[in-house]
Amino acid sequence: MGSGRQRLWPVHVILAIGAAAMVAPFLWQLITSLQTTGETTSVPPHFLPSWQWSNYSQVFHDTKFAQQFLNSVLQTAVRVLAQVLFCSMAAYAFARLRFPGRNALFLLMLAVLMVPSQVYLLPQYQLVQNMGLLNTLAGVVLPGLFSAFGTFMLRQFFMSLPNEVEEAARLDGAGTFRIFWSVMLPLAKPGLISMGVLTVLWSWNDLLWPLVVVNDDSKMPLTVGLSMLQGEHLTEYPLLMAGSLLASLPMILLFLAAQRRITEGIALTGTK
Amino acid sequence: MFRKALVLAGAGALALAATGCSSSKSASSGQAESGPVTLTYGIWDTKQKPAMQEIADAFHASHPNITINIQLTPNADYWTKLQTAAASGTAPDVFWMSTTRIGLYAGQKQLLSLSDKPGFDNSPFPKSLNDVYTLDGKQYGMPKDFDTVGLWYNKKLFDAAGVKYPTATWTWQDVIDAAQKLNDPGKGVWGIASPDWTQENLYNTMLQAGGQAITPDHKKSGFDDPKSIAGLQYALDFITKYHVSPTAQQMTDTQPDQLFASGKVAMFADGDYDMPEYKAATGLEADVAPLPAGPDGKKATVINGLANVIYAKTKHAQAAWEFVQYLGSKEANEVQAKTGTVIPAYNGLSATWVASTPQYHLQSFIDQLNDAVPYPVSKNTAAWTTPMQTTLDQIWGGKLDLQTGVKQIADQMNAELAKE
Amino acid sequence: MSAIESPSVAAGKAAAGAGPKRGPAPRPVADRRPRFSKAHLKEWAWGYAMIAPLFAGLVIFYLWPIVQSAYFSFTSWGVFGGQQWVGFQNYSSFMSDPQLPRAAWNTVKYSLIILAGIPLSIVFAALMNQVSGKYASLYRVLYFIPVVTMPAAVAMIWRWLYNGDYGLINYLLSLVGIHGPHWVSDDRYTVWAMGLVGIWSSLGYNMIIFAAGLKNIPRQYYEASSLDGAGRIRQFFSITLPLLSPSIFFVSVLSVIGGLQMFDMVLMMLGKTNPALAGSKTIAYLFYEDAFVTGNQGLAAAIAVVLTLVLLVLTALQFRLQKRWVHYG
Repeated sequence: MGSGRQRLWPVHVILAIGAAAMVAPFLWQLITSLQTTGETTSVPPHFLPSWQWSNYSQVFHDTKFAQQFLNSVLQTAVRVLAQVLFCSMAAYAFARLRFPGRNALFLLMLAVLMVPSQVYLLPQYQLVQNMGLLNTLAGVVLPGLFSAFGTFMLRQFFMSLPNEVEEAARLDGAGTFRIFWSVMLPLAKPGLISMGVLTVLWSWNDLLWPLVVVNDDSKMPLTVGLSMLQGEHLTEYPLLMAGSLLASLPMILLFLAAQRRITEGIALTGTK
Repeated sequence: MFRKALVLAGAGALALAATGCSSSKSASSGQAESGPVTLTYGIWDTKQKPAMQEIADAFHASHPNITINIQLTPNADYWTKLQTAAASGTAPDVFWMSTTRIGLYAGQKQLLSLSDKPGFDNSPFPKSLNDVYTLDGKQYGMPKDFDTVGLWYNKKLFDAAGVKYPTATWTWQDVIDAAQKLNDPGKGVWGIASPDWTQENLYNTMLQAGGQAITPDHKKSGFDDPKSIAGLQYALDFITKYHVSPTAQQMTDTQPDQLFASGKVAMFADGDYDMPEYKAATGLEADVAPLPAGPDGKKATVINGLANVIYAKTKHAQAAWEFVQYLGSKEANEVQAKTGTVIPAYNGLSATWVASTPQYHLQSFIDQLNDAVPYPVSKNTAAWTTPMQTTLDQIWGGKLDLQTGVKQIADQMNAELAKE
Repeated sequence: MSAIESPSVAAGKAAAGAGPKRGPAPRPVADRRPRFSKAHLKEWAWGYAMIAPLFAGLVIFYLWPIVQSAYFSFTSWGVFGGQQWVGFQNYSSFMSDPQLPRAAWNTVKYSLIILAGIPLSIVFAALMNQVSGKYASLYRVLYFIPVVTMPAAVAMIWRWLYNGDYGLINYLLSLVGIHGPHWVSDDRYTVWAMGLVGIWSSLGYNMIIFAAGLKNIPRQYYEASSLDGAGRIRQFFSITLPLLSPSIFFVSVLSVIGGLQMFDMVLMMLGKTNPALAGSKTIAYLFYEDAFVTGNQGLAAAIAVVLTLVLLVLTALQFRLQKRWVHYG
């Protein structure tokens, strides 16, 4: 694309300004995490912190950070794996297979996205409670194993893959599931990775549902554990910011690792 | 020997029943508490957790078969979670209750009445607190702590302007005079911050003028009483007449307590609970005095406070009652006093809290107990406070004049109260 | 999954790196196989089988609650139960709520602002595609950061930016002689202020999707058209946009859904005692108020039903319209 000898610096300028706007709150979070609580509430704001590195160690002291980190990892892993499996199967079926009522079922599935999420809170809570799964890992992950959004996303993806490979495999005598598993899934890897990354992000940041379902702080994921740092009248923002910064590091690393895969993979399959 | 075996047998049975699930479907209700019992205790302030844990441990020491499991939920989400759990029968056995929700929970039969339990004694607590937590003659909450409102002031600004510090004898006029002298737009300093916050400002000014937000029987709005309107006018005048207070918009962009902590306003009527914030503020030299008296010499503040309540569907009513009794005891309240975060409801223990931060005249908050009026509530407080606040926001934002706005509030309130 | 929005909104917001591939979407007009042949039935069976696990979960955890909610919308449901059938009363009180017209307008306005952010994402993605791989990766990470920034931090800094007296935006405006308004406490500006934050928080997501999509467009097209003398702008409109349209469609469907469901930004940016709050509420905010503040669950359910129906219609419309402008290949 545009490989001419054009000067790129205007592009860089625009992108850099945009990047500054994108990163500013994160930098603010970093600065706040190094202040004292008194500094955070003052007006006008202080831009130079007083370098309270102890806030970071304090987070480990005030919350069960390590344990909750593992909880987050576990909950996220289960949800992502299940979603990738269930959603890819359903997405493939919606995209490539024909069966009566397919479009109606797809629309029905989409309807799930159109309801405000708080509508689900109480019914799901009661379902989980009736199954005796309150305050357990199973209870937290169960509703999140199924995603209309992920299916929609992957369906779009499958729909844009070329037919030829599939038809060739069919001529070779492969059955439907075999085609799906051995042919389409590998082709769909970039899409699966993207969907996986987004699901990981959603699951990692999930707050309200685990907060309502889990009572023991040893079973809470990180988001809930950190939210406990909010006091009734005075919240120690530096601690909160430090904790959530630490919590966001895995996500950044994950994105770094995945983004290469996504753009690489797509670029490879794009050229025909 | 025999009793030990019984306890062990009971322990075994309960352990089996309790594995895996939390307080969901296990049987055993209404039996005498023979085996070990675990009670869940729902709270919402992380700063008070250590104190609550200490109380729970002390209770466990004297009642070895009852273990308390504290469940902390941040204040912002506490009611969402509690509502969901209570609607499903899984709320904690004992939990914190506030004055704004007591009507809802008690009225909808989600709580056990405490006043008909054996050994109930609410005499160590202020009457106004007991009253707030009483519905239809039954008291549902054991008062835990209380909050009153005081006039915080910035000593440095007062000194710079040569104004004498507020005292217990101040009246509205003194505040107005001082605010005018302290107001210094050139330096970006206001004399006073007067937001449309009800607990800290408006409920109190209405009372000081001789009016009220709601009638004591919770049946009618007091907003259209001319005296109440005078109280509101006094607060509004700081913005519109004397121009010594930031506007509502300015106080929304930057909260008044932040403005005070940063030395941008010289006076601010605020509760005792913001004391930690002011203590931690860098470079703030402040102090607090009782609220001024109204035009007829009337002094008043609303008193607000939390209470401990028992969930109606608890499986361990007896154990829960024992715990709540302990929570209302002198020992438990002393533990609260030590931490300096709240003023315990137990009469006479406030001295420890006062002594925790000697640089402020915290006694001002205690002295006002005599003039304290119960916080305005009804069976479904949120149903009328939500539109009330919206209308107050309109008035304060200059979109609605006071007379029309007050009529609107009164009508809305009366409509909601009629439904109860 | 913006830093600010709720999970399902977040889930609805971002699309995947589903780069639009070349090759037409298979939709055989006439099926050569005889009807009800064994092959047909087998395909049907597989179809149902493969959607079964997902649907089992969706029915239990999502679709059934929707049905329940629809039922409750016809009852007066207090916070703790005790429902009584009231027919359409909740709907009529919702329709006659004086706050509704303003809330509806705010919701529409906000969604339109969000949609306007899509072209911005495309432009940025295209720009990112022009720089070398190293820089592109760096930019991508930086643009991704809002997604992992704590919502409280996002709210704090935006509130400071928008602050009427001490904020950066008004400071910059004053340098050019403009007296900036109170962005978050004046209801003439609040929806714009929130809209900007909404665009900001979804920019990173959308860009990732578009960047992947752009990478997919073969160079040959651009090279061929340059040889024909087409400039960059021309190429953008005749090559880039059409081939990117599946992604654009996807992002716009989800943006509409997300935009119409927004309410937590009102809470975070505006706060509770705000003179501008009354004029800045959205439909979903009214739902939240009824569900969790005043405890009128029946009314809240009715609002949810109405919102869902509106979204269904809008989404179906978008799917209909896609034939006009979306090119699968």
